Amino acid sequence: MIFVAVGTQFSFDRLIQYMDAWAQINDEPVFAQIGEGQYEPKHMKWARFLNGDQYNHNIKEATAFVSHAGMGNIISAREHQTPIIVINRQHELGEHRNNHQADGLVWMGKLPGVYTASTQDQLFDQLSLRENLTCPVESDNQKRQQLVQFLGDYIDGSLA
Amino acid sequence: MSKRQKILAISSPGGHWIQLNKICNEMESRFDVVYATPGTQYGSQHSQRKIHNITDASADSKLKLIPLACQLLWIMLKERPTAIISTGAAPGAIAVLIAKVLPIKTIWVDSIANVAKLSRSGEMVKNHTNLVVTQWEPLSDGKKIRYHGSVL
Repeated sequence: MIFVAVGTQFSFDRLIQYMDAWAQINDEPVFAQIGEGQYEPKHMKWARFLNGDQYNHNIKEATAFVSHAGMGNIISAREHQTPIIVINRQHELGEHRNNHQADGLVWMGKLPGVYTASTQDQLFDQLSLRENLTCPVESDNQKRQQLVQFLGDYIDGSLA
Repeated sequence: MSKRQKILAISSPGGHWIQLNKICNEMESRFDVVYATPGTQYGSQHSQRKIHNITDASADSKLKLIPLACQLLWIMLKERPTAIISTGAAPGAIAVLIAKVLPIKTIWVDSIANVAKLSRSGEMVKNHTNLVVTQWEPLSDGKKIRYHGSVL
């Protein structure tokens, strides 16, 4: 199963249409969380919103997770060791209030387990390779431990 | 043993909320953590955590900022946290401005999505919050904006 999610604050009909087109010509089932989008998919199962448990279950079960270029989904994908393909919203198309997702695509693509696409062709190319996409275990979380330790020390006053 | 200190953790839904959780889940062994975020769809049925539901407002929906501010003030008066911590965006910024006039430490952790410059809400609160943390070392100025690791 391919899981598609576009976040809840903005719709992302372009990505949903791409994936609906992909679902039409491929056998693998696709499930999409479409948010407030206008476009209702015809060739894949969909829901506007999923609760946290359903959402995480889908990420865990998916062979690949297709998403807008949102950090939240990248973090969740890593937690479940599911490779994620991200496609950026474009400010020029009214898909976000700024272009930080386009800027982000470059460094996001350097994160382990994260694959990127800007166009339908690139997305379909990545999906055709989905059996070979991998995501490592989140073993090295020293940066997070450092952050949490620092904030905790700051809050309880043990930091000078 | 003295009573554990309380943290109120606030963010908008989506990526900010997930980053907030990555930080605060680990804080729960050290502090009492209560949360405030719009919508209840993120709640897991297996969780015992206390999550206050607040109005979903953004910089694009300014009128909704008024009920949001009232809710946040009420939550702070009720919970009396030692500190508030936010990853963004509008709910966190409003919370920082309210907590400024209360005896509450305020911490802003700028979203990891902001790699080239501080977020818009981060810019707004940086002179009002006690601590600003960026998750990208090059964005730290070594004084006001500090870097001490990241969620990824």
